[in-house]
Amino acid sequence: MSPRQRQIGAIFGLTGPAYAWLAVTIFLPLSAMLYCSVLDTSPLVPRPSHFTWANYAAFFQKPFYLPLTWWSVLMGFWTTFFCFLVGYPAAYALAKRIKGRWREALFLLIVLPFWSNALVRVFSWTMVLRQGGLIDRLVHTIFPGAPTFDLLFTYPAVVIGLVHSYLPYMILTCYVSLQAIDDSLMEAARSLGAESWTVFRRVVFPLSLPGIVSGGILIFVPVIGSFMEPRILGGTKGATLGMNIEEQFTVTANWPLGAALSFTLLAIVLVIFAILYPVLKRRGVWS
Amino acid sequence: MRTRTNIATGLAQVYLALVLLFLYVPIFTMAAMAFNSSPLYELPFQFDLVWFKELAGNDRLIRAGTNSVILAVANTVIATALGTAAALAFSRYSFRGRRVMQLLLLPPITIPWLVIGTAMLVFFYWTFPSLGLSPRGLHSILLGHVALSLPYVIIVVGARLTDFPKSVEEAAATLGATPWQTFWRVSAPIIAPGVVAAALFAFATSFDQFVISYFLAPPGVTTLPVEIYTSIRKGFTPEINAISTIIIAVSMSIMLITARFYKFGGER
Amino acid sequence: MSEVRVVDCDKRYGRVAALDGVTLTFVNGEFFGLLGPSGSGKTTLLRAIAGFIELDRGRVLLDGDDIGHVPVHRRDIGMVFQNYALFPHMTVFDNVAFGLSVRKMAADEIKRRVDEILGLVRLSGLQERKPRQLSGGQQQRVALARALVTRPKVLLLDEPLGALDKHLREEMQVELRRIQREVGITTIFVTHDQEEAMTLCDRIAIMNQGGIVQIGPPLEVYEHPINRFAAGFLGVANFLEGRVASVSGGEARVDLTLGGQAVAAADGFKPGDAAVLAVRPEKIGIEAGQGGAGVNRLDGTVTGAVFSGSSTTYRVQVGDQTLAVFQQNAAPRRFEVNDPVTLHWSSEHNVPVAP
Repeated sequence: MSPRQRQIGAIFGLTGPAYAWLAVTIFLPLSAMLYCSVLDTSPLVPRPSHFTWANYAAFFQKPFYLPLTWWSVLMGFWTTFFCFLVGYPAAYALAKRIKGRWREALFLLIVLPFWSNALVRVFSWTMVLRQGGLIDRLVHTIFPGAPTFDLLFTYPAVVIGLVHSYLPYMILTCYVSLQAIDDSLMEAARSLGAESWTVFRRVVFPLSLPGIVSGGILIFVPVIGSFMEPRILGGTKGATLGMNIEEQFTVTANWPLGAALSFTLLAIVLVIFAILYPVLKRRGVWS
Repeated sequence: MRTRTNIATGLAQVYLALVLLFLYVPIFTMAAMAFNSSPLYELPFQFDLVWFKELAGNDRLIRAGTNSVILAVANTVIATALGTAAALAFSRYSFRGRRVMQLLLLPPITIPWLVIGTAMLVFFYWTFPSLGLSPRGLHSILLGHVALSLPYVIIVVGARLTDFPKSVEEAAATLGATPWQTFWRVSAPIIAPGVVAAALFAFATSFDQFVISYFLAPPGVTTLPVEIYTSIRKGFTPEINAISTIIIAVSMSIMLITARFYKFGGER
Repeated sequence: MSEVRVVDCDKRYGRVAALDGVTLTFVNGEFFGLLGPSGSGKTTLLRAIAGFIELDRGRVLLDGDDIGHVPVHRRDIGMVFQNYALFPHMTVFDNVAFGLSVRKMAADEIKRRVDEILGLVRLSGLQERKPRQLSGGQQQRVALARALVTRPKVLLLDEPLGALDKHLREEMQVELRRIQREVGITTIFVTHDQEEAMTLCDRIAIMNQGGIVQIGPPLEVYEHPINRFAAGFLGVANFLEGRVASVSGGEARVDLTLGGQAVAAADGFKPGDAAVLAVRPEKIGIEAGQGGAGVNRLDGTVTGAVFSGSSTTYRVQVGDQTLAVFQQNAAPRRFEVNDPVTLHWSSEHNVPVAP
């Protein structure tokens, strides 16, 4: 066997299993669901199926889908935005202002909640937000006559819960990005006459953009399709497209509709990426 | 100038403390409630272990927890092995199609879990019965978890490999080591920290995963997140607090123990 | 102690020829330097001999055997990399012992050999240190010890001194030469630093764009470069252009464009030929005053003087060309910018080179 053949064999052997796995679990299922989305009867029903665009058409015809989708996308943006607002300064503080053992310890503490269950984290918010929960009691100890503080089953509650769940992602990616910025770059900028804010705006922030973007993607994508947090924290108030899709698969057993809506959701995500890609490429973010 | 830096550092510390407060207050509240005797979370706080005892008798929750752990361990082993191999191939060989293959790692990260989960359900429903398998089940969930973990493993190990120049492996070859020997005696020890980090990531990804597990779990067999979800939908049972507290305590301990051996946060 | 031969080697990357018909013999026990600018193919050749690169055409022979299809780990070579490539997770001892342990040598024999080689490179006592605890020079010596302890047939060095500072580099050059002489191993040394090549090597090959320009002992290549590239790459050279006026008695008289005449060996010149003569800066004498152009004599004005401790390099404007003159600082007189000077040299230092 020539070295080149041996090399090709090695490459196949090393990457083959991983990609075979991805084929079976991601690529083939997506194709299958694509096929399912253009059927007119659910596979669960023993009737022959026919090709139809009706499921996709339903998205535009039924009056509630568009506002529902809009809410979901908005929820994604708000969550990502607040995660950035809260998380970026935290990452900056950790990367640039804290040194030594404390830095490791704090980093660990921030990442630790990842290791608890997501459900558990969301559930714990119900303890805090509900009537009789922590915030309610706190407010009443300070202002005894105040009205009951019941934040549960409201739109803000959903966003709070989502931000709490996904915040560590943003802190993590921004931290890695910021920490990679050599201090000497900032020193060089200062020696050239830039004040602190300018150094940040023109040197640190642009260089940390990859971290912000990857954090944003890691947050926006799951959130936009979420149904668990909205249901637990929002009840009927926080209805999302994700919840509707989930119902198609569990309650109404209308799989083709669910499949079509799933792909519509995916298309929306890809459209948003497509819009952002030129902006990000120009700034040299894509790694 | 010194005071300005000190103020800045002070502000940073305060801010981080606030962020940590935000992250942990709900968790502590829930842990506190786990030890509170009231089933309706009423104060005053009365310490009681009743919910932990109830938990011991709650077979569903315990079985779900065990399933989650087993899945997470299996997921970690498989994803770490497959992902490390792929990362090695990307880093050590250049070949046409490498770029494309790396791009193919993006879908699991950039496609909402809802879409992936439902797609898997459809696909398995159509194909598994002819293989003698049921479409839903722990095996399906495992398939999904590994798929989600793979990109992260490849990225984390890949990062470690970039720091590790090829010339070290070449040197081993010139000294007479076969590729296998080179891997075990030189490459593996050097990339070990990266692999451990990736393994921890994979474990967390699986243990934490709700959406995929939700769609692929058959009646009667669940993972912990799914079980907690159904319990919440049906009505509060304070055992949830108890098991949640246990989970957090255990994961914190594991994390702290591993952190002692491997440095995170970029300090080296 | 072995002979390495490469015959007719070709290697292309896309449209670029990294190696183009390279044939070379590395004699038993010699210290051979591959010298050239980036992209000349010297590293490609070295790595082909090591086995990391597969040639498109040609053969690599070790003691007469074609080792082209032998994988790296069976070639019995020793290699020192530019970044040393020490195993960061192993001690100095384990690093050096690695090649021996892979060959399943007995533990006490390994210890004996490792201690011996560490003594040879003057690193005894550092066995338990980790690479990151060593200085650059020490790491380099560990890399060398590691490559030599297995007693390979040939030693390959890929710009091993590049990362060291000037003093350390000179010190290591001496060490390297001493160790190589003591061990007697055939050594192939890649470098882009021509001074280093001349200092260390028994023979050098100047490479450019995948081909060999000239081979020979450093002195010969330096004093008799065959073309402009060789003259310009190894050391500094002034190129005087002109036309052959007459040839007689084994000598050629060349009318220089800058004025005056130069006398060189006849060497196949015919009257009317275009000629380029290379004259090394240290061969040119510099005097105050101007006496007009003559035979091997030119007038000029000093436009620059760079003092470097033991010597001074002058830039002298002659007509529209700037010539470099190198003078040791034992001379009685030093020149300043704008001084009028006369340059003179002897005929034997006019080296005809291909244009």
